[in-house]
Amino acid sequence: MTYINNAALIKRQLMVRLARMMFAGSLGTRVDYIPLQQAPRESESVRCCIHHDRAVLRYRLMALLGFAIENEKPEDEIRSLASYVAEADQKGGTRFDDKILTVIDEACSSCVRANYRVTNACRGCVARQCIMNCPKKAIHIESGHAVIDEKICVSCGICAKACPYHSIIYQPIPCEEACPVNAISQDDRGKEKIDEAKCIHCGRCLQACPFGAIMERSEMFDVLRDVLNPAKKTIAMVAPAIVGQFNTGLGKLVTALKKLGFDHVVEVAFGADLTAEQETAEFIERVEHGSICMTSSCCPAYVEAVNKHIGNVKPLVSDTPSPMQLTGEWVGRQWPGARRVFIGPCVAKRAEARKGKNVDNVLTFEELGSILVAADIDVMECFDTEPDQIASSIGRKFAIAGGVAGAVVGAAAALGVNAEEKLFNGLDQKAFATLKAVDKIIKKTTFIEVMTCEGGCMHGPGVISNPAVARSFLEKMLKEKP
Amino acid sequence: MSKKFKITICSGTACYVLGGAQLMMLEDLLPAELRDEVEIVGSTCLQACRRGDNAQPPFVKINDELIESASIARIVDYLRRH
Repeated sequence: MTYINNAALIKRQLMVRLARMMFAGSLGTRVDYIPLQQAPRESESVRCCIHHDRAVLRYRLMALLGFAIENEKPEDEIRSLASYVAEADQKGGTRFDDKILTVIDEACSSCVRANYRVTNACRGCVARQCIMNCPKKAIHIESGHAVIDEKICVSCGICAKACPYHSIIYQPIPCEEACPVNAISQDDRGKEKIDEAKCIHCGRCLQACPFGAIMERSEMFDVLRDVLNPAKKTIAMVAPAIVGQFNTGLGKLVTALKKLGFDHVVEVAFGADLTAEQETAEFIERVEHGSICMTSSCCPAYVEAVNKHIGNVKPLVSDTPSPMQLTGEWVGRQWPGARRVFIGPCVAKRAEARKGKNVDNVLTFEELGSILVAADIDVMECFDTEPDQIASSIGRKFAIAGGVAGAVVGAAAALGVNAEEKLFNGLDQKAFATLKAVDKIIKKTTFIEVMTCEGGCMHGPGVISNPAVARSFLEKMLKEKP
Repeated sequence: MSKKFKITICSGTACYVLGGAQLMMLEDLLPAELRDEVEIVGSTCLQACRRGDNAQPPFVKINDELIESASIARIVDYLRRH
């Protein structure tokens, strides 16, 4: 998340409170106090009243404990949060299913369907170009001003263009506008619902909603429970994009993670080195068998987009497992039985982790940051430690757009196979259309890298740092160890 | 010649996670007329979070004054008023 906003801040504050209680061992008994602590009686309410605030906070905590609000039955409305903690403890990972994101209907503002509205800048003019040119007769005059009937309006925008005072504005439904695959839409109450058959878990709706109504189903409970248990081994697998996330290089972060209680820390960039090697070999083999192009497969939201929306591209997608998968596999052999936790910028990685057997949990940088705050660990004050498994700069460059393509094309060239690079930097409607027809567009041997997040993984939904700032840390690291 | 304002941005983890990360862009987002008067410095935890009162992160120090709930807009406003 690159732009801090109050919804994100509230979420982080809640995560800090949750984690603090886990460290104190009081979560099971005191979790129901968190909405009261976050919204004390005397404080100013954000919504209609403090009780509505507290009700929504309760739902946020349910999501932070890993539950989907959509699964709440009517009789569950009187359940205590403590009962959810007990359920999380008892069910463990089995409480998670395909639903990665959850919409808190109580928090959803049911943004108005029709995208165009007349503001009070309307002067009630005689020309009435808005009314006269509306193809659906959706506008009428009320008390001297134009009013659009949202039930009839089809959002064609003609009225906005026709108004000489520019008094008609385009007001988006932020989550629907952000979604690249039309997976989120309103039910008959106006509340947004995510269609799992279409959702690629990119997390854009989550970032876009001004009411913070969309949340991830967090795994922090499961991770912290094992981290705090001395009998359980936990391994932190940190994504290449972690560099610069706490305004510092990797070394201090490794120390902070060990202080927190992780037994080992491994760079997923190491897995990326392996992915690059395998993917290059696969690319060369495909080219030798007559293929003209191949796409990357490390971005999970892209892979889901292919599976759910552009099936004709599927044969072009690399079969090489992602860096997260290869790292998880390696870690599983090194430390059998340990809990493998991927810490990254990504929401879609959770879906990818669930499909395989190589990763047990996924945390975002935002969740890690909140946990470190709760543990009173200051990353800047830690000394530097090397990770248990180090990577090369090839793997580390996977953090930014162009890293994968650069690695594969460079390695292929060294083996005598010359290929072009094509980069899809961010998936939007236009990129989808191009991708759908990609095999008709490509003329020369090409490796195609597809990044759902524009700019690459450092721009993912789970980040804390502004990507430009984080990037400077990556560049510094690459300079020191080319 | 020392600058009129010395802005110290706390990069302690608590400040950083709870809104402080955005402050790293301060230099780029300062209005042009203020740039010459300002020296921006990062710092490890200013310990403002540990004072126990209700002051909220992220914290920033301008000369000797501690600003709580800092944001780029709030910092610019302070600079303009002093």
